[in-house]
Amino acid sequence: MSAIDDLAGELSKLPGIGRKTALRLTYFLLKQRPEQSRRLADALTTLAERVRPCAECFNLTEEERCSVCRDQRRDRGVICAVEEASDIGAIERTGEYRGLYHVLGGRLSPLDGVMPEDLTIDRLIARVRGGEVREVILATNPSLEGEATALYVQRQLSGQADGVAVTRIARGLPVGGDLEYADGVTIAQALSARREM
Amino acid sequence: MALVVTDAIVLHSFDYLESSRVLRLATREHGVQSVLAKGARRSQKRFSGALDLFAEGQAQFYARAGRDLHTLASFDVNRARFALAADLERFAAAAALAELVLRFARDESEPTWYDTLVDALDAVAVADPGAARAAGLAGAWRLVAALGFAPSLDACASCHDALPAERPARFSHPAGGLLCERCGRLAGVGRALLAEARAALRAWVGAEDEEPPLDPQSARAHQRLLREFLREHLTDGRPLRAFESWEGSRLAAGPASPGADAAP
Repeated sequence: MSAIDDLAGELSKLPGIGRKTALRLTYFLLKQRPEQSRRLADALTTLAERVRPCAECFNLTEEERCSVCRDQRRDRGVICAVEEASDIGAIERTGEYRGLYHVLGGRLSPLDGVMPEDLTIDRLIARVRGGEVREVILATNPSLEGEATALYVQRQLSGQADGVAVTRIARGLPVGGDLEYADGVTIAQALSARREM
Repeated sequence: MALVVTDAIVLHSFDYLESSRVLRLATREHGVQSVLAKGARRSQKRFSGALDLFAEGQAQFYARAGRDLHTLASFDVNRARFALAADLERFAAAAALAELVLRFARDESEPTWYDTLVDALDAVAVADPGAARAAGLAGAWRLVAALGFAPSLDACASCHDALPAERPARFSHPAGGLLCERCGRLAGVGRALLAEARAALRAWVGAEDEEPPLDPQSARAHQRLLREFLREHLTDGRPLRAFESWEGSRLAAGPASPGADAAP
């Protein structure tokens, strides 16, 4: 296999990149100065060597503990459990949450063979047992598998951490949305999760 | 490229590239089909919350002859089954039912099994805590029968002699059902089923209205029998992952109860 085919083959494995785009990117890189390609190669190597899961919350980090876990200003009594590290960015962008996180590493999916032992649930329980935590927010996706995962974690926590509140993020109509154009499933969820004013 | 409009249930979904999702659908007129829902992860506008597991509705997709993956145009949900996630036993049973269909159903028109699947998922979704396992077993055996794999329960699967209902009998997976005393002795292998277990099996396969009572130990033994039966009819050698997690109660909050391997 030629170097061109080799790189195009690797690039085409990336999300959103097909064979044609991979070839276009390969020829683009060939037209650049060699330093540019070297910088790209170095950045990829550094990424693979340095980035690892946080020892505490499994967020991605280059240190032993991620920046959130190291931040002493964060509320260490609240842990928000998410499916993937990428979900943390979405919550952080709101600027509304000041607690810690826990990355579960996916969601329960019997059809895909993802079972509780494949997730970091036991590590979450260990953190909660540490004594400092007063609330765990379950922020798994509002899908059937996400709900089942949240239920499983809640059941596991309920027997192991007395006095710790386990909450679930709300779901329903989007802010700025129009009721008339919302789908039936979302409206039904919003109605069932209504709250007193 | 033909536009296909059909009733459908989402059985499995997984992310595809950056923003799309591949769905495996059970359809009323076209068996199991795989469709690509473009942009489903990025925008809620096209498919809204309809693409969740076990959601039922009307799917429209563009089908290309000779292709395995079609393009989903829309999915108008008329029933979301959130209740399946409200209990882990229900969730595990529904996943096992989905796996059964995904592994056994083909893309031919099979309205009978589609309706059986709808009934089975609905029954599991409303099952009381502790009864979801029995509801799942009933649904699974009915699906097995609707898919054309019904075991022989009233006549010997080998010599076809009538079997007295009140006696224990040996269930042979290779033969495809119960064996008479003589054929059972000759076969030498198979699960011994007591009269109660035979009655339960007959009620499920025959879709009788009256559900047999089932204690947890018997339920697990029935799950093992069903799993072995399915394995016998699968030729690809792939494991039945959802089935095994259901059988092993791996989603239950506590450990599986002892005696799970006892014969029915």
